[in-house]
Amino acid sequence: MKIGLDRPPRSRYISRVLKAICAIQNQAQKGAVRIVLSTELTANQTSVRGDVVPDDLFFSRLREPFGTSSVVLRIGPLEMCLEGLSRRQAEDLGRKFRPFVADAAARPDVRIALYRAGVEHFLRARCDGSLEMYRLESRRSGKHLLLWSYEFASRLDPSEGRAVLALVEERGERFDRGLENFLRVLTASYILERDGLLLHASGVVRNGAAHLFFGPSGRGKTTVTRLSPEDLVLSDDLSLVVRNGNRFEAAGIPFGMAHHRTPDTRESFPIASINSLLQSVEVRREPLRGGRALAEIVASLPFVMQETGQAGRALEVVGRLLEEVPVYRLWFREEPSFWALVEETTR
Amino acid sequence: MIDLLAIPRRSPNSAYRTYDGQATIVLPDRAEVNVLNPIGSIVWDRMDGTRTVAQLIEAVVEEYEISPEQARRDVLEFIETLRQHGMVS
Repeated sequence: MKIGLDRPPRSRYISRVLKAICAIQNQAQKGAVRIVLSTELTANQTSVRGDVVPDDLFFSRLREPFGTSSVVLRIGPLEMCLEGLSRRQAEDLGRKFRPFVADAAARPDVRIALYRAGVEHFLRARCDGSLEMYRLESRRSGKHLLLWSYEFASRLDPSEGRAVLALVEERGERFDRGLENFLRVLTASYILERDGLLLHASGVVRNGAAHLFFGPSGRGKTTVTRLSPEDLVLSDDLSLVVRNGNRFEAAGIPFGMAHHRTPDTRESFPIASINSLLQSVEVRREPLRGGRALAEIVASLPFVMQETGQAGRALEVVGRLLEEVPVYRLWFREEPSFWALVEETTR
Repeated sequence: MIDLLAIPRRSPNSAYRTYDGQATIVLPDRAEVNVLNPIGSIVWDRMDGTRTVAQLIEAVVEEYEISPEQARRDVLEFIETLRQHGMVS
């Protein structure tokens, strides 16, 4: 047996919700070296002329909140308190995220102070016709983590459970996108500390059991949800995996839906199976085991694989998940017969 | 050429976990996830900064029915591959 790397197919992911472009590359690989390019990562991307790079001084000069209202969101076990909202923003968020809005939290996991950014943008999309992957930049500054993307910049102090969030718009699409993308990043990061994961997967609940379907964009995550009209769709793009007592469960989240509305529930459901999707003319399923299962799931974790510490933590949590929940490779075509195979797990 | 007395170390910029005998290695700087096969994983697990290349070769010979010469060739090639991918320093 040759010593080497065992290479799953190359893949690149960018979420449709995040306005990114997907490129899936499957290469017939020969030889010993095998690599997955993690699709969630945006490392090594070059900056674009005109990018605004916020520093500590930028955040210390933020003076203008949108208002004095606040909203508490409960996402899985996490409580996030958004402060500095205008009354209209608070009302809009209350409607949009309805099942996830909670009464005032005594000790939220994180308090997020919102401010007007005072700039038109942070990152700029490329205009030269080249491929624009969703870019999220980050940098450590003392005890703070600075994060910025197109419509938002944030200074996060994880030890204090506080964040400052500067948004370029007060309302509209750019406000929504900036806030939601920030909340995605925050959720992905904080849920790791609660032994959970934010996974690039659709989640469907059938007969009280959750089934997750993951893979790069174009593999069929949304298609699976469309083929499940009688079932509860937790998400068609990003699924929250939470630790509830001694088991892993999938929970609804208020964002991550590309083609469905926000789920009407913030309940969580025991995960019966995790399925790596492949569209095919045949319908079949095989167990996915070992390092390959670990690598494929890890490569489907957005935002948390850019830093070695978080990557290590994610590997731990995924390892535990694999010990408790069966993972399969699922070949399916655009009709619901795949459910007969998927449901075998719960029988 | 890799010195048999050299002590290769896993890159501090990597995170890994061995599951079912296979090491899965994440390289955040390079946006890569790599999976090692079982023999590669044995060598990787032992690259803790205390063992020489020669000792890594011995470990493979002990674990598998393989000639020392074959093990030497494979381990050297493997370490070179890891180097090219920024996985060892």
